[in-house]
Amino acid sequence: MSTQPLRPYTGIRIIDLTRELGSYATRLFADLGAEVIRVESKQGRGDRQQPPDVAGLDSHRFGGVPYAFLNANKKSLTLDLASSAGKTVLADLITHAQIVVYEAGEQADVSLADILAVPGARIVTSVSYFGLTGPYSHFVGTDLIAQSLGGIAWLSGEPDKPPLQLAGQQSVFVSSLYAAAATAIALWDFEATGHGHVLDVSAQEAIAHSLQNAIQVYDLEKRISSRGGEGVRDATEAAYACKDGYVFLAAPLSLPASWNGIIQWMTEEGFDGVARLHEPDWADRATRCKAAMRSEFKLLFERFVADKTKQEMRDNALKRKLVMAPVSKLADLQDDPQLVYRQYFQQVSMPGFDHTIAFPGAPYRLSEPLWQIERGPPESGRDSEAVLAGLAASQKTAGGQS
Amino acid sequence: MFPQFLKGIRFADLTWAGAGPFSTKLFSDFGAEIIKVESGSRVDPVRAGGPFKDGVAGINRSGYFASRNTGKKSLAMNLKSRKSRDILYDIIRTSDVVSNNFGPGAMERLGLGYDEVKAIKPDIIYLSMPMYGEDGPLANLLGVGMTISAVTGLMWQTGYQGEGPIGPGTHFPDHAANPYHAAFAMMAALRHRRATGRGLKIDLSQVESTINCMGLPFLEYAMTGRERERMGNRSPFHAPHSIFACQGSDDWCAIAVETDSQWQALCQVAGLTELADDPALTHAAGRLQQVERIEQAVTLWTRRHGAKQVMMLLQAAGVPAGMVMNSRHLMEEDEQLRHRGYWQTLDHPEIGESQFTSPPFLLDGERVNLRRPPLLGEHSGDLLQQLLGYSAAQVQALRQEGVLE
Repeated sequence: MSTQPLRPYTGIRIIDLTRELGSYATRLFADLGAEVIRVESKQGRGDRQQPPDVAGLDSHRFGGVPYAFLNANKKSLTLDLASSAGKTVLADLITHAQIVVYEAGEQADVSLADILAVPGARIVTSVSYFGLTGPYSHFVGTDLIAQSLGGIAWLSGEPDKPPLQLAGQQSVFVSSLYAAAATAIALWDFEATGHGHVLDVSAQEAIAHSLQNAIQVYDLEKRISSRGGEGVRDATEAAYACKDGYVFLAAPLSLPASWNGIIQWMTEEGFDGVARLHEPDWADRATRCKAAMRSEFKLLFERFVADKTKQEMRDNALKRKLVMAPVSKLADLQDDPQLVYRQYFQQVSMPGFDHTIAFPGAPYRLSEPLWQIERGPPESGRDSEAVLAGLAASQKTAGGQS
Repeated sequence: MFPQFLKGIRFADLTWAGAGPFSTKLFSDFGAEIIKVESGSRVDPVRAGGPFKDGVAGINRSGYFASRNTGKKSLAMNLKSRKSRDILYDIIRTSDVVSNNFGPGAMERLGLGYDEVKAIKPDIIYLSMPMYGEDGPLANLLGVGMTISAVTGLMWQTGYQGEGPIGPGTHFPDHAANPYHAAFAMMAALRHRRATGRGLKIDLSQVESTINCMGLPFLEYAMTGRERERMGNRSPFHAPHSIFACQGSDDWCAIAVETDSQWQALCQVAGLTELADDPALTHAAGRLQQVERIEQAVTLWTRRHGAKQVMMLLQAAGVPAGMVMNSRHLMEEDEQLRHRGYWQTLDHPEIGESQFTSPPFLLDGERVNLRRPPLLGEHSGDLLQQLLGYSAAQVQALRQEGVLE
C-alpha cells in the first residue's frame, strides 16, 4: 500500500509540449499530483533559454528564471524528436496519457496533426497566441503583442501617453488559467463518457475576455473605455507618493466609507486642505472624474501623506476602513505581515543552487494538504530513464491484458 | 454547442460583484446548475453599476452583470430572515458547492460559515475568496481589484519608465487570475470528493492567487536579489520592443523584435537601411544600448501608416507586431475574432439583443454557446417548487412576507 495521500490529479499523466503560454497550465496540474512529463528534444526545449538566465548556471541544462517558475514539479524526458524512433516513443507516451498540452508555432518540435493521429481518446489542449484557425493564426506573437491585440494595453497607462503593457507576462497567465480550467472540465467529461476532446485556446481571446466591462460599455452605450479611465475613474483612484514609497487609494463617492474616512482623518489631523474637499464640486460624481480634479486631488493628498510611511497608511486603512493599500515592491512581499502570518512563500530546492529559493505558495488553500511543490524544475532529461521504464511496464501490462 | 459536461452539479452560489461570479459562470456555461442566491434589497453591485442598455439604469439592464452570470438561475431572498436561511439550508443539502467572495466573517454572520454548512452537508465543497485570506493581521483590509494589484507587485512594476507606478487600467486580478484559479480549485475539489467521498474547503486569498501571476518577476528577484525598475513598454532583453504611434491621433501598434533576423526584417519593411547596416545594432545587446535612436527611427515610419497597416506589413515579414485594440476595434474590426465566431448575440427580456464574449477557446472546433443571464429572482418560485417541493401557495406566502424578494 502506498502511503502517499491520494491527490486530485494522482494517476493523471500529462504530456507537456508547451513553451510559454501553456506552461503555467500544466504546472497547476502538477501541483495537485498529476504526472506532467515535458518531452523535449535532445538539446532541451527552447523555453529553457527564456531570459533572464541566472549567472553561473548553464541554462541549456537548468533553464533560466521563467523556466524555473513554470516547470516546478514536472518531469523531463529527452528524445530525438526528428527520428522515427523518437516519434514512436512520443506516440507511445501519448497513448498512455489522458492529457496532452501543446503549443503551436515555429519552434514546436512536433506537429499537432501527429499528436491528433495517435489512436485512442484523450484531451488535447492547444494553446496559441491567436488560435489554430483564422487569418491571424500564423501571426507571430509575444506577450506585448497579445496584450495589444487582446485589448488590455489600450486600457492601461495615461491619456496623453501610449497604451501600457502590464508587467509580468500577463498573457502567459491569463491563457494558461483558461486553458487549465477548460482542460479540467473536459477531463471530467472524458472520464465520465470516454469521449476525448480538443481545446483550441487563444491568448488574444483570453485577454479580450478579461477586459472588465469595456466590451459591454461599447456594446450597450457606445462608449470606448480608455486608459486612465478619463471621464470614468474617480479623481481619488490612483497611486500616490508617501514618505517611503507609494500607496493606492480608492475613495470615490460609491465607496462612501472610504471617502468619509479620508475627510475624517484629515480633519482629526487639522490638515488645511480638507476645507477644499467640502466644496460642492467634490460632491458631484461626474465633476470628480475630470482631469483637473485628479491633478488637484493628487497634489492635496500627497501633501497630506508626505510625512507618513506605507505602514502607517496601511494601519490607518485598517482602522478607518479605507480602501487603501501600500504599493508593494517585489522586495516587500516576503515581509508582508499577512503573507508571513499565513506562511505563504515556499522554499524550493533548485538544481544548480546550494540554497533554497522562495517560490510563491499555493494560489488557493485547500483544507487538506493536496497542493505541494515537491521538486524544483527538472534538468534536461532528468527523468528519461524512469519514465521510459514506467512506459515499458505499462505496455507490458496492457499487452498481457489483450 | 451547449456542453453538458457538468450536468448534475449544483452550486448554491453567493458570489457577487466581479471575481466570484466570473468563476462560477464557467460552470454554468458547461451545464452545471448555478443557483445565484441574491437579494433584492441589497443587490449585487454589478447589477446596480453600468453599463446599461441605452444608458438607462435598471437592475436587469446591466451589461457587466450579464457578462458574469450567463446561464445561471436567480433566487432572490432577504438573506437576513430566518425563513430564507432555512430555504438556503435546504438548497445546500442538495448542492455540491457553496461559493462566496465576501470579506472574512460575512458568511458566519449569515449562519453560513464552513462549519455550519458542513454540519448540514458533510461532503460540501466550500469556496471563499476574500482579498487577503480568511485569517491573519491584514485579513480585514478592504480590497478591490486595484488594491490587490497594489500589494502584489503588479502595480509597482507596471508604469512608464522613470515615472511612478500606475498599475493596470482595470481591476485586472478580478478578471482572470482569481476567478480561474478558483474554478481550477473547484474542479480539483470535485475530483477529490469523487475519489474520496470527502468535501473540501477552498480558502482563496486573492492576493496569494495574484502573486502567482507575478511569479516570473518575483522569482527573478528571489533568484538574483535584484528587482527591475519600471520599463514602460520596453523589454530588458529585446529591442525594439514598444508601442509605437501610428498615423491617427490615438492609433498605436506594438512591435516586439525578439531575434536578430526579425530586426533585419523590420529594417527592410520600414526602409531603415542605415540602421540595418550598422554592425553595432546586429545583436540585441547593441540595440538595447541605442534603443532611443531605434525607436525614433521606427516611429518616423509608423507615423506614416495606419496601425493595422503597420501590423500587416510587419507580420507578413515575420516580425511580431499587433495593433493596440480598443473595444470598438475588437468588436467591429478584428478579422480574427470575427472569423472564429468569438462574439455571441443573446436575447434578453430587458436588454434585448446584446453581444457576449465566448469562452476563449474552441471546443472540438466549436464555440461553447451561452445562455442568457437571469432577471433578479427569475427562478425563485420554480426552484422552491421543483427543487424543494413547495406549493405555489407557499411560494406566494413567502413573497408576501418579504422572504422572497
